Amino acid sequence: MPLAQTATTVPVTVNADLCIADKGCTVCVDVCPLDVLRIAETEDGSKTAYMKYDECWYCMPCEADCPTGAVTVNLPYLLK
Amino acid sequence: MSGLFEDFDDIADLAEGLDDPVPGARIMAVIDLTDSADPAAIPHLARAIADEDAGVRKQAAQGLTDFDGPEVAAALVSALTDPDPAVVAAASVSLTELKDPTSGDAILPHLGDANEVKLTACLAGIKELRRPEAMTPAVAALKHAAPGVRAQAVGVIGWLQDETSLPALQEAAHDTDVNVRRTALAAMGFSQSEAAQSALIAALTDPEWIVREAAAETLAKSGGPSCIPALRGALADDYWQVRLKAVRSLGKLGATEAAMEIAPMMDLPVPNLRKECAAVLGELAVPATASYLKKYADDNDPDVRKNVRWALERMAA
Amino acid sequence: MDEILDGLTQIDCDILVIGGGTAGPMAALKAKKKNPKANVVLLDKANVKRSGAISMGMDGLNNSVIPGYATPEQYTKEITVANDGICDQAAVYRYAQECYGIIQELDDFGIRFQKDQNGEYDVKKVHHIGTYVLPMPNGDTVKKALYRQLRKARINIVNRYMATRLLTGEGRIAGAVCVNTRTAEFLVVRAKAVIMGLGAAGRLGLPTSGYLYGTYENASNSGEGYAMAYHAGAGLANLECYQINPLIKDYNGPACAYVAGPMGGYTANAQGERFIECDYWSGQMMQEFYDELQGGKGPVYLKLNHLAEETISEIERVLHIVERPTRGHFHKGRGTDYRKQMIEMHISEIGFCSGHSASGVFVDEHARTTIPGLYAAGDMANVPHNYMLGAFTNGAFAGLDAADFIADVDFAAFDEAEVEAERTRVLAPTKRDDGIPPNQIEYKTRRLVNDYLQPPKVTAKMELAQERFEEVREDMEQGMYVRDSHELMRALEASSILDCADMAASASLYRTESRWGLYHNRVEYDRDDENWFCHTILTKGDDGKPAHRKQEVKPYIVEIAEDEKDAYNNQRVGASVAAE
Repeated sequence: MPLAQTATTVPVTVNADLCIADKGCTVCVDVCPLDVLRIAETEDGSKTAYMKYDECWYCMPCEADCPTGAVTVNLPYLLK
Repeated sequence: MSGLFEDFDDIADLAEGLDDPVPGARIMAVIDLTDSADPAAIPHLARAIADEDAGVRKQAAQGLTDFDGPEVAAALVSALTDPDPAVVAAASVSLTELKDPTSGDAILPHLGDANEVKLTACLAGIKELRRPEAMTPAVAALKHAAPGVRAQAVGVIGWLQDETSLPALQEAAHDTDVNVRRTALAAMGFSQSEAAQSALIAALTDPEWIVREAAAETLAKSGGPSCIPALRGALADDYWQVRLKAVRSLGKLGATEAAMEIAPMMDLPVPNLRKECAAVLGELAVPATASYLKKYADDNDPDVRKNVRWALERMAA
Repeated sequence: MDEILDGLTQIDCDILVIGGGTAGPMAALKAKKKNPKANVVLLDKANVKRSGAISMGMDGLNNSVIPGYATPEQYTKEITVANDGICDQAAVYRYAQECYGIIQELDDFGIRFQKDQNGEYDVKKVHHIGTYVLPMPNGDTVKKALYRQLRKARINIVNRYMATRLLTGEGRIAGAVCVNTRTAEFLVVRAKAVIMGLGAAGRLGLPTSGYLYGTYENASNSGEGYAMAYHAGAGLANLECYQINPLIKDYNGPACAYVAGPMGGYTANAQGERFIECDYWSGQMMQEFYDELQGGKGPVYLKLNHLAEETISEIERVLHIVERPTRGHFHKGRGTDYRKQMIEMHISEIGFCSGHSASGVFVDEHARTTIPGLYAAGDMANVPHNYMLGAFTNGAFAGLDAADFIADVDFAAFDEAEVEAERTRVLAPTKRDDGIPPNQIEYKTRRLVNDYLQPPKVTAKMELAQERFEEVREDMEQGMYVRDSHELMRALEASSILDCADMAASASLYRTESRWGLYHNRVEYDRDDENWFCHTILTKGDDGKPAHRKQEVKPYIVEIAEDEKDAYNNQRVGASVAAE
């Protein structure tokens, strides 16, 4: 029985132009208490952080600790 | 299992990352150096704070928050004139986190700097280090055109707790800026001198309530019997937070003559004020006020009830 | 990352600290300082840099006992009364005596407490004769400062490993089984002492938003500490005394009476009238809140719009910068402004958390649980109302005592079959080809918690909850399915949540009286001091289900006068005052 593919909008967004995951940065992935962020490799081979799991406590360390200001934490849609 | 524990890498190895041609990689090196919490990282971070990339400089300024000492302070002061405001802001915050008094060695020479932002940050940084040498430049900075500088200067003076600074604080208590006035009055709390008391009493009629509140509150520490009439006057202030502080200070000063003026304030609808009045009536323990307190033994507010009970116990004892 | 790998490593250490939030780091530091030769391992399922309830910071200490502002006797009395008398005072009293030393130590770490303009501590008067609230202007740097100390002390830190079961043998603690949250590889830690600081059970009830992670507590605090202690055979005290808090609706963060109250803010009903006089969080206060909502006078609001601009700016500065910075974003998104409107509040989901109530793993004044060598501190241990400073201080007690304990013992032998059995249990959801994902198991459990366990508590409803939980457990054990190691972590959390739900129902049914206001309002029973002035201790019974016993409240150290015992009752504003 396959699992459904239900879409969900996620609260954490990353500005790929500012993200330096390419350079080995994993600060946001490291600090997330719920471990919901991952690094994605895009088609052109560059890397950027993104929110993989919709399990966010909107607590902000990823945004606060990002060295380049690439991460924005919005409130999850269900409660904003 | 390799990688099970967090690493304690060699600092020199981590510092090699600062030579990477890519700024992002240098930022990562700064983060690793910071996380080491090893003082050996300080010279490398001091180098990174002069990096050609603003992002690296900002990260280094932030990272130095985790360290202390004159070398750290010197690096942070150098960043206060950085062309990028984000670097300056980060360095300013880090300066206020210093704890080691010797860090002040690197800040003291800059307490007369013409650059307003730099001067403000240096004053804020030296405050908690409590260096007596800062007194003269801080008093001089009270004449500065910018209110932000004057407020920081008052802070430095207050932390030094030196009676010779009172004339300067008295003058600052008449500053045009509300925040400077309020800070100057609070800064007098260490002194029970007549100079401090007269300045605080005068400020009880300041047009701004937050200034009157600071004066009423500080009189608990600075005041003496001669201040009681002025504080009794403040019981009729039109702002409740000022009245509350006046009640509290009268309690601290043991102003039993004010007890019969405080007792009827138990009838006021502001619960915070009722709580404070009950507690102070207990401190003053004037038997004639017991009837007012007993009226509120069953007050709806549990804290009022508790304070009333405590006050009545004190009177009985 | 997240691929499921097969692996098992075993390491030995003297002291294993599970949980790197607040209590855990302090325990590790104290143990290491007392015995520098001890091998101390600090393990966290997240990253110690930003883990635990204070992930982003904390705006102040709510319960500091500073000489000149409050006394240990006063504090112990307040806490005893706030807990309806059910309180072993020794732990509270020791905390009250020693927390000032911890404040000074934290100050040395670089955590700044608010000082006045002369550099002296600036303690705010909030709700008692004593004065306990000490603001932290740079509270956002707490975790950084702690982390720095851990690095300096060269504590061995293990991140992203989740402890799943404790190991015992020879009648004492032997270690723990852990699993990597990104690879599913196992780590067996043999330890002479284990200190648990795993936080609250914050994912027990479901927030009204329906978002699984929109909880009051940090959502990573999913109750593993309670579940592990239970399965290891430790006693848990008074779990029926739930945590329920008055919160900003939907945002589900604190309205912060501690910040707004002394400045004149208060909780009001739809007419803007004050209906409770004291905003200090207690079960009685929550009962009044509940009654107001049920009685048609709601919604209930946080009222600040009568305050001066200067006061509101100060409240905003504290509330929006430090503890939950997204709160400012929330109000902006809604277009709400403290100056203009009252802010809608609501009742939180239920949870276990001694930080604000009195339930948790039973510990004494040394943070010892009922299992030798096993300690617990912080939100998961039953020292009442202990907040962040309690976590630090009781964590310190645990570290100090554990450092002594390990001096006299070697590793306890344990049954290797336990490790194998735990591997089988943990990995079961990875061995299936399809089934129920953990988020659905969790959602259903928590929805049932809301339907049947949220007070007022009704016997028939709680019994129905037990039936439904049995069914969910069957589904979980036979049909839960995960695709990667991240989902496996969620599956293990779902299991802890279900254990906690079972314990909540069972403990609530056992105490056949009402106590602690709304927290344990059993509508069929009145308060009954004759039979229930006691702790209830829950353990794992021989049948694998919760077993219960009563335990006497230890004789008080600080006496409470008869007329002081009702201090938190009768919270409702009388008509004459409310009208003003």
